[in-house]
Amino acid sequence: MNAITRRSFLKTAAVAGSGLVFGANLVRAQQNKDEVLDIALIGFGAQGRVLFESIMKLPNLRFRAICDLRPAQRRYVRLWVKKTLKQDVTEYVDFNEMIAKEHTENVKNGKKGLDGVFIATPDFWHSPMTCACLEAGINVYCEKMMSDTKEGARKMVKAMQKSGKLLQIGHQRKSNPRYIYAREKLIKGAEICGQLTNANGQWNRAVTTDLTCPKKLELPKEVLEKYGYKDMHQFLNWRWYKGLGRGPISDLGAHQMDIFGWFFDARPKSIMASGSVDFYKDKDWYDNVMCIIQYDTFQKRNARVFYQVLTTTSAGGGYFEQFMGTDGAVKMSENPALTKIYKENGADKAKWDSYVANGLIQKSADPAPSKTAIADARESKALDTYAMPDNLFPTDPTDPSKSAPIHLPHVLNFLDSIRGKAKLTCDGAHAFEAEAAVFKAVDAIEAKKELYFEESDFVA
Amino acid sequence: MKKTLLVILSATIALASYAQTKKLVLEVPQSQLSGTPVPVKLPNLEPKGTNPEVMIPVDATNIAKGKKVTSSDDFPLIGELELVTDGDKDAAEGCYVELMNGLQWIQIDLEKSADIYAIALWHYHSQERAYKDVIVQISDDPDFKSGVTTVFNNDDDNSAKMGVGKNMTWVETNYGKIIEVKPSVKGRYVRFYSNGNTTNDTNAYIEVEIYGK
Repeated sequence: MNAITRRSFLKTAAVAGSGLVFGANLVRAQQNKDEVLDIALIGFGAQGRVLFESIMKLPNLRFRAICDLRPAQRRYVRLWVKKTLKQDVTEYVDFNEMIAKEHTENVKNGKKGLDGVFIATPDFWHSPMTCACLEAGINVYCEKMMSDTKEGARKMVKAMQKSGKLLQIGHQRKSNPRYIYAREKLIKGAEICGQLTNANGQWNRAVTTDLTCPKKLELPKEVLEKYGYKDMHQFLNWRWYKGLGRGPISDLGAHQMDIFGWFFDARPKSIMASGSVDFYKDKDWYDNVMCIIQYDTFQKRNARVFYQVLTTTSAGGGYFEQFMGTDGAVKMSENPALTKIYKENGADKAKWDSYVANGLIQKSADPAPSKTAIADARESKALDTYAMPDNLFPTDPTDPSKSAPIHLPHVLNFLDSIRGKAKLTCDGAHAFEAEAAVFKAVDAIEAKKELYFEESDFVA
Repeated sequence: MKKTLLVILSATIALASYAQTKKLVLEVPQSQLSGTPVPVKLPNLEPKGTNPEVMIPVDATNIAKGKKVTSSDDFPLIGELELVTDGDKDAAEGCYVELMNGLQWIQIDLEKSADIYAIALWHYHSQERAYKDVIVQISDDPDFKSGVTTVFNNDDDNSAKMGVGKNMTWVETNYGKIIEVKPSVKGRYVRFYSNGNTTNDTNAYIEVEIYGK
C-alpha cells in the first residue's frame, strides 16, 4: 500500500477548511509521526464496507477486531487486514464480548485498549452499542441515523457527554471539502445566491429487489432472534422495518436534511410531510416521502425547502441539494457531475465576473444555452452555468490518480480528533440537532398536518 | 461461365456457413442495483448497454459450466472460486467470489482444448461500476507462458504491464459483457485479469460463460 502522509492529509483538511483550493497531487512518502490508533469495526454490511475501505487507505492504524453476526463478513475483514497490513484481526459475534476482551480487560491489565470503534450496524443497534463503547471509555464513529428512536439518540448524546469521549456521527458531507467550500465560501461568504429563498433536494432511486442470500449463508434462527430479527429476510432488509430502522426518509433523507440546516445555519421552524407505502406492499416504512420545511436563514429571512425521497423511480434525477436565491443557485451533490452553479439573468454580471476572476468559481464547460424557442413568454431564458474550482476533494491516498473514497475525510476527521489534531465535524449533539427534521418528518406524515419544532427537538 | 460458378459457389458456402450459426443470447439475471452510485469516470468508457450482436456456431455451448477455477489469490476475501462457473448470475450475497486488491486473475480449465467463439463475463453488478485492466487470454499452457492469445484488453495505460489495450471499459450490469472471439481461438485455459474497479480496489466475479466446442 502506498501511504499518503499524515502531513499531506492535514494540509488537505486545513486548506479545505479555510476554503482555499489545493492541488490534486499531494506530496507522498514523507515522514509520518502520527500516533498509531487501535480500532475495531462493528457491522460489515454495505455501509460497514464503505467505512472499512476508507479506513484501510489510512496509515497508522492497528485494526484489532471485527464484530459481525456473519462468519463470511468477519473472514473478509480478517483476510484483507492480514494480507495488506500483516495484522491479526480477532473476530467477534457479540459486541459486549469484543469491548470486554479488546478494551476493558486490557486496560485493567495495563495494556492498550481500543482508541476508536466504528459502528455500522442496523439503526436499532446504534444506541446500545454506542453507549456501551462510550461507557467503556472508547471513542465512537457511528453511522447515521443515530438511532431508530429519538430516545435512543438522546441516550447516545448523554453517554457522550458523561464519558467525555468522542462521538462522531456519519453525516459525512460535514467533512467533505466540496461541501465545506460551498457553504463557507459561496453560500455564506460571498452570498452568491443573493437572498436565499428556497432549497430543493431529492434522493430518487429506481425500484429495487429485496436483498437475499443463499440458504447456506443464512444465520441460525436462534442467532437472528437473539439479535432482534424475525428472520433472514428481515436481517438483510432491516431498513424497511419498524423497530429496526426508519425507512428511506431516514436512510437517505438524513444526509440531505442535515445539509439544509447546515447551509442555512439555522434550525428548521416547521415541517409538513406526506408519505405512504405506494409500491413495496410488504414493507413497514413509507417508500415515497415529500416534505416542506421552513427555516429562518443566517440572512434572517424565511426560506422554504422542498425535499423528496422516492424509491420507486429514479426519474433520471439522482441525488442533490439545491440552494436557490435571488441572484443564483448552488446545486450540490456528492457526485461532482451533478454539482452546478447558476447565475440568475438579472444578477449583477460584474460581480459574477469578479467571482470567476478571483477563482471563487469557474465558468462551466457546459454547452451554451439551447436556442430552442421559448414556448411561453413568461419563461426565464436559460441561465449561465458555473462550477466550483477543481480538485477540492483529496486524492486517494493509495492512488493519487483518482479521488479518495467519499467517506474518507469524515473518517479521517474522527481519527485526527482522537489524536487531538482536529475537532469533530459532526459530534453527537450536533447530529441530534441535525436529525430532528428527519424524526419530525415521520411525525408530520402521521399527524397529517404542519408541525412546529420546539427546543426539545434539538437538545438531548 | 467459370466466374459465375465461382460466385454461386461462394454464396452457397457463405449461406451454408450462416445457416450453421446462431445469435448468442444470454440468460440474464434480475437487476439488483442497490446503494449510492459512485461516479464512473474513465477515459475509455463505452456507452451503457452496448453488447455486440455475436454469432456463434449452432453447436457451440457454454463449455465453462462446472469447470475448475483457480486464481492468483489463494484465499479469496469472500466466496469460493466455484461460484464463477456454477451457472448462478445473481449479484446477491453469497453468489460471487472476491479477490484481493491489485492486479489479480482467475483461470478456467476447460479440461481439453476447444475452439472458443465468445465469452460472457459478469463481474459484480449490484452497483454500476467499471473494472479496470480487464485482460482476457486463451492458451493451452496453464502457466500462460507460451501460446497465449489475448482476446480482450482494456488496459489503456499499460498499468498491468501486459501491453496497451484498445478495448473499451464497460459499466457492469446484469446483462453481462459479451466478448466476441473472432476468429475463434483454440485453447484449454482461459484467464481473466482485473485490477480493481471504480468503486473499490478488489476484484469480484459472479459468473463466466465460455462459448465453444
